[in-house]
Amino acid sequence: MSSATLKKSAPADLQLATFYVGDLLLSLPIDFVQEINRNLDLTEVPHAPPHVRGVINLRGDVATVIDLRRILGLGAAEVTPQSRNLIVRCGDESIGLWVDRIADIISITPDGITPSPANISGADGRYFKGVYRTDSEIVVILDVDEVLSVE
Amino acid sequence: MSFDDPALLAEFVTESREHLADIEGQLLEIESNGADIDVDLVNQVFRAIHSIKGAAGFMGLIRINELAHALENVLGKMRTKELAPNSRIVDVMLKAADALSGLINDIEASNDSDVTHHVELLNEIYESSDVAVHEDEPVAPVVEQVEIAPVEETVEPVQMREEIAPEPVDEEPVVKKPAASKKAAAADHPATSRNASTPQVESSIRVQVGVLDRLMNLAGELVLGRNQLLQTVNNADGNSMQAVAARLDQVTSELQEAIMQTRMQPIGNVFNKFPRVVRDLSAKLGKQCNVVMEGGEVEVDKTIIEAIGDPLTHMVRNSVDHGVEMPDTRAKNKKDPTGTITLRAYHQAGKVRIDICDDGGGIDTRRLKDKAVERGIITKDRASQMSDRDAVWLIFHPGFSTAEKISDVSGRGVGMDVVRTNIEKIGGSVDIESVLGKGTTVQITLPLTLAIIPSMLIRTCGRRFAIPQVNIVELVRVRSSEAAQRISKVKGAHVLRLRGTLLPLVELDRALNFADSEEGLDRKDRPRQIVVVESGQFRYGLVVDEIDDSEEIVVKPLGRHLKSCVCLAGATILGDGHVAPILDVSGIAAKTELRTHEQEDLEDVNLAEVAGAAERQSLLLFTNAPQEMFAVPMSLISRIERIRIDQIDTVGGQELLQYRGTSLPLLSIDRYIKAQARPDMANVHVVVFQIHGREVGLIAADLNDIREVAAEIDGTTFREPGVAGSIVLDDKTIRMIDLYELAFTAHPKWFEDKPTAPVDEERVYNILLVEDSSFFRKQAREYLVSEGFTVVECEDGQHGWETLNHEGHGIDLVITDIEMPRMNGFELTTRIKTDPELSKLPVIALTSLASDEDQHRGAEAGVDDYQIKMDREKVLSAVWRLVAPKQKVRKSVSAKNAKPEGILS
Repeated sequence: MSSATLKKSAPADLQLATFYVGDLLLSLPIDFVQEINRNLDLTEVPHAPPHVRGVINLRGDVATVIDLRRILGLGAAEVTPQSRNLIVRCGDESIGLWVDRIADIISITPDGITPSPANISGADGRYFKGVYRTDSEIVVILDVDEVLSVE
Repeated sequence: MSFDDPALLAEFVTESREHLADIEGQLLEIESNGADIDVDLVNQVFRAIHSIKGAAGFMGLIRINELAHALENVLGKMRTKELAPNSRIVDVMLKAADALSGLINDIEASNDSDVTHHVELLNEIYESSDVAVHEDEPVAPVVEQVEIAPVEETVEPVQMREEIAPEPVDEEPVVKKPAASKKAAAADHPATSRNASTPQVESSIRVQVGVLDRLMNLAGELVLGRNQLLQTVNNADGNSMQAVAARLDQVTSELQEAIMQTRMQPIGNVFNKFPRVVRDLSAKLGKQCNVVMEGGEVEVDKTIIEAIGDPLTHMVRNSVDHGVEMPDTRAKNKKDPTGTITLRAYHQAGKVRIDICDDGGGIDTRRLKDKAVERGIITKDRASQMSDRDAVWLIFHPGFSTAEKISDVSGRGVGMDVVRTNIEKIGGSVDIESVLGKGTTVQITLPLTLAIIPSMLIRTCGRRFAIPQVNIVELVRVRSSEAAQRISKVKGAHVLRLRGTLLPLVELDRALNFADSEEGLDRKDRPRQIVVVESGQFRYGLVVDEIDDSEEIVVKPLGRHLKSCVCLAGATILGDGHVAPILDVSGIAAKTELRTHEQEDLEDVNLAEVAGAAERQSLLLFTNAPQEMFAVPMSLISRIERIRIDQIDTVGGQELLQYRGTSLPLLSIDRYIKAQARPDMANVHVVVFQIHGREVGLIAADLNDIREVAAEIDGTTFREPGVAGSIVLDDKTIRMIDLYELAFTAHPKWFEDKPTAPVDEERVYNILLVEDSSFFRKQAREYLVSEGFTVVECEDGQHGWETLNHEGHGIDLVITDIEMPRMNGFELTTRIKTDPELSKLPVIALTSLASDEDQHRGAEAGVDDYQIKMDREKVLSAVWRLVAPKQKVRKSVSAKNAKPEGILS
């Protein structure tokens, strides 16, 4: 029962936090996002799965940071001045998503969401809930549960 | 069904659980008291059930009400001594109490459950009890009756009314009064209730677990804050800051301790369920078992209490099922038909120990081995070599159940290996000891808490990791000059030579896939930091780059994406805010496919076999000049000192060390035997030993190692006065120093008052020397002959025995080695001492490793004296004492070895 699905049925606007991973403009319903930080001081974890970049100290807790590029099949992310951790709450755990650049927060009407094609810019479509076309760009809505379920 | 007030319902459940918590133990106690009813105790149970009944009626929980009512009826009759409890009745009551707990635990569905079976059985007891009364207890003690009289009167009407009008809602107002007055009544005579053996309910407060967890987190962060502050202070400096830091440090520790305390629970909480478990199980199996519990007040963290419940239950059930024998078997073996299972908890060295002992049949290691061979766990050869102690460990092997047939009691596929794994998971360890026919003891060692643990911080490839202190045995630094010698490769795996054993090595950077170079340990030219770690069956050396510091760390769990990382046990946040993974010692062992102790032992056995059945002895290896190695038996060394070269004085050509007010004469090897001169160096070691009542120091430039050596000694190639012989170790020839000869060569004057063969005596004494090693035989013969004795040599016990029987009467004394083929020294001694002709013949046993156990065995066999092989002075003085007890005691007889003469004559 996420707030996203609740809002879908309501006529009210849906707020999306958008960000870039490679050339893809991805988004998440804003309620999922706990915080965005620049804590890129990762501790590598031996024998971790390839899509785990490492762990960070999130105010006294140890949070896993996931490399979205790896999950989407885009190759490992690079550290740039724009790199950020998007911390999402998932169950009782906070998990970081490593993104290349943070973009705007946009308001959309849920009616405008269309099903996503099987493949967008070489990324695996099963992690997408749908796409939304703005005037200039296509915003892909990420399926957080699917992304975080990768073992 | 639905309830109007879920909060009230929750309250009812909590309270009822509290009421029921002790009931099992109380019922069992009632059972054991039998007809001698402890009214206070019954009252306690009665009140508990009564409260449940009342509240349940009020809330419309009809089934609970019904069952509690029936139970209360029976208890009521017991209280008035109209009914004497026996095990059948208590059995029904226990089952009813279980059913009651079941209903309360599933409160929503309770009204739809069927409890008629229990109610019927209880009512049967209740109704039939009229007959039993007069038989069992015709007259109750008068005093007690007077005391309890007021209580009964107030309660009786309640029961009556309930029977007439079981409408639950009506009942509530009535219930309260008698309950209250009963409490008052109980308080009136505390003297009688005080000595009741039922454990008193501790005064305690109920704290939400969530709150506790939060407190724990806060304490964790406080510890983190302190660490940060400490680090800041160390970098800057300023006295006031330091004071603040010190204070914060103290406060944090105290707070941490206090908060930990709130999580501590007595281990009795777990123990308490075992009397019932044992009772039910032994009844089912037709066995008789008592449970003795000690140290129930020992407190451990609640996480640990939760974690050990199942493993302990499993082991207790095992003790009843496999341990304790059937009553007739026990009687046959002259044991009490009732077995005893002892549960004992106690603190030891900052940890908690739990012993589970039974006085049952013990583990039949032969059967265990057969089964292990049958299941292909070990080979037949291995089984025959295995010691009993190792064999007992087989029960921890996965998929091993000793039960002959699979019952519902044990053999459910969950074996001792699961128990062991679960205990190791929470940082504990299991050990087992068993004596056939006497019983088995399982010993569990647990940490006090899991949340904050002392640990050691280490580095490898620039990354930091924490290793829990509980896993660390010791830290070893191997200098680059020693690396080639101490680290070697056996079957493709690196091992460290550590005090005579081979310790497998794991390179942390490789185990964690961080290694950047290919060479690793093959590069011998740099020093190594090795953390020797241990966990359960594994013991190995972890090669790390740097060892930083020890620190108390707060354990943080890793996220779910990292559950597959078996090498890690979690993570922690360091003083500088960085995350450091915590290493899981057994996980790393598993990942690197390290062999367990068992396999390790097997290896040792093979190595020993390769070396031949040669005698093992402990040698100190040292060099005087580089590359020239010497050895001295450890058993002759009193102590070792490290001195500066400028502390050595030379007086009249003799080197002396001024030491503790006296001067210690020093011997330099190169002055007396063919050896290279010692190079100039700032510090040397002095090996101190005793010769002829004097302390003498041997200068050893560099100490290399202490090794237990089984190699054959070559007594000819390098033989010269002062050198007993040579051995070959790791392709190096090492000369064994004969300290006695060396001292004699250096200072013949010291030995001038040495007793020589007594010419004035009528005859020369004949000594039978039984020794399989030609080196030691030759050596002993030399000094015995030089002392004037005639020596008859034999190669083993059998030969010695034959010789004795041949020319028996000519022999005055036997000196025998212990470990020999065909017949060992103990056996030979036993034969001599039990032979009517020879029993008076004195026997001296010689050994290279004097262990207490050997001494004990020797004494049992009848050995007159026990001496260390290379210590010729003591051997000779013992010989003299035994062959000529009436002679005046020689000078060098040491008081320690003097034996009362009575046993010899």
